[in-house]
Amino acid sequence: MRDEWYPVGLFSQLDRNGRNTVLMGEPITVALDAEGAATVTSGSGRALPVRVRYGHVWSSLGNPRKELFAIPEADQPGRRFVDVGVVRVRCSPLRAVENFLDIAHFPFVHTDILGAEPHTEVEEYKVEIRKDEDEVWATQVKFYQPQAAKSANGGITTEYMYRVPAPTCSVLYKTCPPRPGEWDVITLFVQPLAEDLCDVWPWMALFDDATPMADLIHFQQTIFLQDRSILENQIPRLLPLDPGMEIPTRADLTSVAYRRWLKRHNYTYGAQLVAQ
Amino acid sequence: MKLYDYVLSPSCYKVRLMAALIGVKLEIRPVDFHPGAEHLGPELMALNPAGSIPILEDGDLILTESTAMLAYLAAKAAPEWLGSGAPEETARIQQWLSFSHRLTASLGGARLHEMLLRPGDIAALQAQGIAALRELEAGLVEQGLRGMRFLASDRPTIADIACFPYVALAPDGGILLDPYPAIRLWSRAIRGLDDFIEMPGIHRLHELNPEPQIEPGAA
Amino acid sequence: MPARIPAGPIALWRSQAGHAVASADRCPHRGMRLSHGFVRGEALSCIYHGWSYGKTGNCLRIPAHPSLTPPETIRVATHDVEESDGIIWIALGQPAARPPRFEGLVPLRSLTVNANVAAVEAAAGAKADPEGLVSPSQHPQEIRLLLAPQDDQTLIHVLLDDKSSPSRRIAASRTAESLRRMAEDLQAKVQAS
Ligand code: FES
Ligand SMILES: [Fe+2]
Repeated sequence: MRDEWYPVGLFSQLDRNGRNTVLMGEPITVALDAEGAATVTSGSGRALPVRVRYGHVWSSLGNPRKELFAIPEADQPGRRFVDVGVVRVRCSPLRAVENFLDIAHFPFVHTDILGAEPHTEVEEYKVEIRKDEDEVWATQVKFYQPQAAKSANGGITTEYMYRVPAPTCSVLYKTCPPRPGEWDVITLFVQPLAEDLCDVWPWMALFDDATPMADLIHFQQTIFLQDRSILENQIPRLLPLDPGMEIPTRADLTSVAYRRWLKRHNYTYGAQLVAQ
Repeated sequence: MKLYDYVLSPSCYKVRLMAALIGVKLEIRPVDFHPGAEHLGPELMALNPAGSIPILEDGDLILTESTAMLAYLAAKAAPEWLGSGAPEETARIQQWLSFSHRLTASLGGARLHEMLLRPGDIAALQAQGIAALRELEAGLVEQGLRGMRFLASDRPTIADIACFPYVALAPDGGILLDPYPAIRLWSRAIRGLDDFIEMPGIHRLHELNPEPQIEPGAA
Repeated sequence: MPARIPAGPIALWRSQAGHAVASADRCPHRGMRLSHGFVRGEALSCIYHGWSYGKTGNCLRIPAHPSLTPPETIRVATHDVEESDGIIWIALGQPAARPPRFEGLVPLRSLTVNANVAAVEAAAGAKADPEGLVSPSQHPQEIRLLLAPQDDQTLIHVLLDDKSSPSRRIAASRTAESLRRMAEDLQAKVQAS
């Protein structure tokens, strides 16, 4: 778990003074060096591995065996990249990701934006753990949306694909009303501070030239803050990986696969193993 | 009327909520408060040297205090929100309007610290927040005993709108609302007003809508 | 609304027909606190995905699957609730007797104190009588306190004479506030020593 890459800051906000933060219980400092490159230093002064990608600085307490996952859309011309900014949540980093993978809560938590009664039904979709990439994917996910994005007017059925490329990161692909055939990319990068506390860094790569940047940021912050009030009130705070404690239905197949995948990788930071 | 607005700011929400309740249309100008700190940039600092939002602009009138904005909106469109003018009611409205600044400092400070990582002495902010909530709870209990559901009278006034957002969002700052039954009832009364609007962290009262009937085959 | 009993946190709600129900404060789906939910008709719905539960705790509806009848196995624990003279009592297990009646008293308000029962009794200068009522020695005519311990806190239900005028009720509420302050000061002193 120490060998994974984690987001630790917005590159655009770094300066020489640096940002003191925490990664899995260990204090770290994220800063710019004299050449303008990002550095990450552990509390004991050890230089930690660094990547700068998708607007964020990434690091790891261990030695990552895998390169940071790819988001090919991040190199696609014509997209606008949106640094949504950090939000702290008192919950397990895994709960934050699982909530991001869930659509059934849209009508109740994101009422009139991402969903609305009576359109609550979750139709069947496809979930798989892709062997080559070792990632969780959910595809053909469809849901009725009263206001699918800032650039959407009126209700439509939106299609989504969800992808979990790393235990605390998720990438969402969503139909893009102004550009049929392309997908908007919305991500959730989660920095685990402790097993029950995390900093969440949403980021977006959109086809939208019209909407002012502040509007795009506000839209995504609205959505995430609605989720936050749920995430801080789930019991237990840790994500139960063993079946029995919580009851999934067909609508929850992405979450079932996510939990299974975490368990297979023995990724237990922020998880609860035995039903208590 | 133009509101320089941040969606997650409870003070901005006061103004949006007041306008919605009395049917005033606002032109919203979104400000990248977080992460961009646009409120500290030259354009907004020129309007408001204090570097805070909301800012309300109407012709050459520029307001930078949310309490003044509530009074302005009400005076223009719905003076009943300013109270009946009875001495006790007038005094209570002023009392709670002043009190609302303490909510901003305590509950608001705790929320910025816990949610957006702003500096602050979190233990002190939370203790001050709890003291303020107890004061509000006691005030609402007494109003209830006088047969009034709102802070200054039996109908909502700008004082309720000034206090409601930071209180409803106290849990964002790690302060539970569980111990305050009178605050709970008052909050429900406000959320149940016609034309009430939410902000993130304050859920819709879904009970106000009927249970949807199952239409077989409908998605 | 949320409440606490020795068996854990509960969601206390009143159905449209007026029945008070005490359900465990945790939705079996994804663990969301049910006290954040909403009541429609005779059911309590969870705010997260809208699963709704009846008065006996059985799951009635899963909105993501509108045509599915939820299996009997999905349920939340519920506790017996009894209302008498404006006070709601919750039974742990099978109640052996009815809750006590407090003739001539009406409930005024409930408040949470950051102090244990002993500190509240010390502040009141009186111990609970067999019915569980405390008559504060300074204000014997004014109020009665019904104490419910909750971990390191105490929930005080303040009762008073049902013929009290509004101004006496307001005074009683203020008395309760100052008793709370005294109890918390006492508790802080005990902890400091
Ligand atoms: S957690 Fe309650 S309905 Fe999903
Ligand atoms: Fe969500």
